[in-house]
Amino acid sequence: MDANVIISLNNVNFYYGQNRALTDITMNFRKNKVTALIGPSGCGKSTLLRLLNRMNDLIDDTRVEGDIIYEGKNIYSPDIDPVEIRKKIGMVFQKPNPFPKTIYNNIAYGPKLTASNTGDINMLVEQTLKQAVLWDEVKDILNQSAMKLSGGQQQRLCIARALAMKPDILLMDEPTSALDPISTAKIEELIEELKKDYTIIIVTHNMQQAARISDETAFFYLGNLIEYNKTEKIFTKPDVKQTEDYITGRFG
Amino acid sequence: MKHAINNQINQMKWRYFRQSAFFGLLRASALIITLALGGIIFYILYNGLSVISWEFISKPPTHSMTKGGIMPAILGTIYLTVGAISIGLPLGVASAIYLTEYAKQGKMIRFIKVGINCLAGVPSVVFGLFGLAFFVILFKFGSSILAGSLTLGFLILPTIIGASEEALKSVPQTFREASLALGVSKWQTIYRIVLPNALPGILTGSILGIGRAAGETAPIMFTAAAYFTAKLPGSIFDEVMALPYHIYVLATAGTNIEATRPIQYGTVLVLVAVVLGINLIAILIRGYMRRHKRW
Ligand SMILES: Nc1ncnc2c1ncn2[C@@H]1O[C@H](COP(=O)(O)OP(=O)(O)OP(=O)(O)O)[C@@H](O)[C@H]1O
Ligand SMILES: [Mg+2]
Repeated sequence: MDANVIISLNNVNFYYGQNRALTDITMNFRKNKVTALIGPSGCGKSTLLRLLNRMNDLIDDTRVEGDIIYEGKNIYSPDIDPVEIRKKIGMVFQKPNPFPKTIYNNIAYGPKLTASNTGDINMLVEQTLKQAVLWDEVKDILNQSAMKLSGGQQQRLCIARALAMKPDILLMDEPTSALDPISTAKIEELIEELKKDYTIIIVTHNMQQAARISDETAFFYLGNLIEYNKTEKIFTKPDVKQTEDYITGRFG
Repeated sequence: MKHAINNQINQMKWRYFRQSAFFGLLRASALIITLALGGIIFYILYNGLSVISWEFISKPPTHSMTKGGIMPAILGTIYLTVGAISIGLPLGVASAIYLTEYAKQGKMIRFIKVGINCLAGVPSVVFGLFGLAFFVILFKFGSSILAGSLTLGFLILPTIIGASEEALKSVPQTFREASLALGVSKWQTIYRIVLPNALPGILTGSILGIGRAAGETAPIMFTAAAYFTAKLPGSIFDEVMALPYHIYVLATAGTNIEATRPIQYGTVLVLVAVVLGINLIAILIRGYMRRHKRW
């Protein structure tokens, strides 16, 4: 496998009960790049994202076919512990979802419990909050409830919380869709910064956002991967007509 | 034009009338409930207050229970209630965690849930007989605090399971997802995130169970309650007197039923106070937890 590939899907199908949500997906995600997943509502973007850190395991009556290879192993093979996968592949959700704990404990929670990080927790909290560009805003209120932060601050806290686990990959499902333009810009800058150290896969409905921040873009339609290429190429001269129609808003 | 406006005003009046009629009805039912409760409490106070004294609360009965106090019964009821809670709460919460967090939802789980609901409807005397056959005779605990606590614990189990299930379900799924997505194990997620957030709700529901455990007569009649012992229990294998049973005994089988009327009302008053007191402790604990949750 190409050394630049961090995770690759081979002929992946995914079913919710009888309904197939993803059809025969084959694609490679590249290391230290930002990959955007785009497509109309219900095309399976979130399903694909949650497949990569086995969050779909939480839903009863689902089934995966095909291989998802990460670090040389199929993450769905029976000898793989999903908990270990999730430590290395972090996730940020659409709606900011901090724990009803203090800001400090939101960050410290994961590392403390998983013992993956036995170093100085105070250092780690400071470091990850700085990484998430939140430190200056919260350094004096670390013992205040995270629920009192603004939506944008909460989302950056959630990013910091994921970073504290020192993951390889960060999955983001429409991380800015609940935020105002200023918070959105902050998070976009942050993503730009983070891709030096992390691989980022982001779902977005915002075409400009995809064009701005991603290196590669994958367009999905009805559970199929229609086109996957360099972002520049997708947004200037896509190979498939459907892609062009979607990007230019002439869809449906 | 004028006609249309009039029409509109009439409609508004009619709507307003309906609304106030409905509110009136709601107010009336709230009032009836309050009056009924007030009436009961007033009646008990009126009849029972005269016998309440330090002596009544701190001394055992004397003169074939026609004089003296009810201290052994108060202690017995506290022992039994605390015992029932220490058995019912962990068992109930554990069952609820299994049912809501672990078990795959399906026919089997629905069947178990129906079973639990049925259990909630079983008359308490049946629990008493079950306790007699099972704990007193089969396990040879004899009539004792242990057997009575176990029986009461099982009696309140459905209440606690139901309350815990509701409380667990009301913890947002996003909290679970956030924790699991960090690579925290399922058990840790439940223990660190789900349970602390569900605990106030669990306690609220369990308060109902506490009241029931303290007030029931039938389940302890065969399993724990003594007709009369001046001696205090030395271990959990001893019989105890208990307030509800003491009331029952005085009112139906005492040596001089008429003469003990005031004592009966006094005992009822103490029982109500004990139940409210135990509830108050639970409410205080719940309040403390809520305040320290830092939402
Ligand atoms: N928990 C679920 N149970 C059953 N079907 C589901 C579930 N979640 C999603 N689906 C179905 O799978 C398909 C893909 O859903 P998915 O959430 O992945 O879409 P999406 O591309 O993320 O859409 P959106 O842009 O609206 O978030 C949809 O048809 C949806 O109805
Ligand atoms: Mg989605």
